Amino acid sequence: MDYAFFLGCTIPLRYPQLEAATRAVCNILGIGLKEIHGASCCPEPVAIQSLGIETWLTLGARNLALAEKMNLDVLTVCSGCFETLKTVHVMLGKDKKYFDMVNKILNKIGYEYKGTSKVYNIAEILSEDDIIQKIKNAVSLPLEGIRLASHSGCHLIRPSKILEFDNPERPELMDKILSALGTEVIQYSETVTCCGYCARLNEEIGDDLCEIKFTDLEKNKVEALITVCPACTSQYDLHERKINRDREEKMEIPVIHLPEIMALAFGINPKSENMDIMKRAIRPRKLLEKLKIEI
Amino acid sequence: MAKNQDIIKSIDLISDLRYQITNQIEGKSLLACIQCGVCSSGCTVSQYIDLQPHRVVACLLLGLKDKVLNSNAIWYCSLCHRCTERCPKSVDFSFILALVRNMAVKEGYIPPEYEVSINAVLQHGFTVPYSGDMKKTIDRNRAKFGLPEIIPPKLDELIFIVKETGLEKTLEDAKKKKKEVKI
Repeated sequence: MDYAFFLGCTIPLRYPQLEAATRAVCNILGIGLKEIHGASCCPEPVAIQSLGIETWLTLGARNLALAEKMNLDVLTVCSGCFETLKTVHVMLGKDKKYFDMVNKILNKIGYEYKGTSKVYNIAEILSEDDIIQKIKNAVSLPLEGIRLASHSGCHLIRPSKILEFDNPERPELMDKILSALGTEVIQYSETVTCCGYCARLNEEIGDDLCEIKFTDLEKNKVEALITVCPACTSQYDLHERKINRDREEKMEIPVIHLPEIMALAFGINPKSENMDIMKRAIRPRKLLEKLKIEI
Repeated sequence: MAKNQDIIKSIDLISDLRYQITNQIEGKSLLACIQCGVCSSGCTVSQYIDLQPHRVVACLLLGLKDKVLNSNAIWYCSLCHRCTERCPKSVDFSFILALVRNMAVKEGYIPPEYEVSINAVLQHGFTVPYSGDMKKTIDRNRAKFGLPEIIPPKLDELIFIVKETGLEKTLEDAKKKKKEVKI
């Protein structure tokens, strides 16, 4: 199955190693990724949506119109992009006034938004039953005896009336994917606690929320936290380092993007052209040691 | 007894404030609020804000525009969407708050960080700067992983959209009004 691959800003420009792992994993699973030429920022759901809803909708519809020209559904790798593009798709599908307003502007620059391309997040595709079977077949290094925990993040699961993915209060689908890698998935109390990245106008909020999260992860002896959103990934990685600064006994709970941990289980060299698992503030040294992977 | 300065005169209420929200996309659900407070009890940032979510809705319905626009609640939202998820009356509070932020922007309240984001999108097509030396570094990093070349958007298309949707003028006007955001 082919998808129009929507990269967004953060992954391709800041964390290309995550894009590389995503492409490697999709290649193994037979998920075709087609480049969208000329795509812009989704636009992101904090600043741009806050400045002007019409602008946010029209820029989002422009990106979707590019995928429509390719006759493909859209695959996102960032939860922010997923939230924006799916919300634009759902809202414009319900509101004729805004649908016409957006198209009146887009028509002047040679675009038409029809609403024909569906929007998916990569976790959604990876949790489909036939892909789960392919994942199981592709695992060459089962992640046995490793205590992994998942963080779905907010913009993958809420609001469920729009995103329609997983249980909004007790998400299960990421764990379904991780289980297919042969690992033990740890359940913990603060599963749906927000990372606080979007509340960044008050730094204290992110600090407090990350402290709550890591306290619980530590209590549950979690050895790696698996995320799907680049914002959650960097927020937790950098805050863990910040928390560690004031502690004698340092935590080592690496924050790993879902495609990266899958690539590891598929036997891909963790420091290669296909990924670089050491590129983060908290490096997964113990995890690699436990899996007997040398780099 | 309420102190004199706490008494709000009916003449100061913006009677059509609610309609400034409801006439916009997804804004209608505002009118369904029954003030149960489920949104506030589940709010991720409730301990940091000076006006709880259900009180923001009450103020919007009553026409207390300044009270809402001067609250830090509109900027500290973490967008976790639990309010919208749990509302028994399907009020889309987290989205309504975005409409309120739009209203604040029109009044001249703009967090500097938001300006940085929109300027980056207009200059590079992305929220991350992608031109000159930055582009060279990024392209070099991408090449290490054998990633395909990025074909960025035509910037004049994005500029056109920002102009046609009225945001360009809103931002120019806001600069003249320039009010300090309470954060």
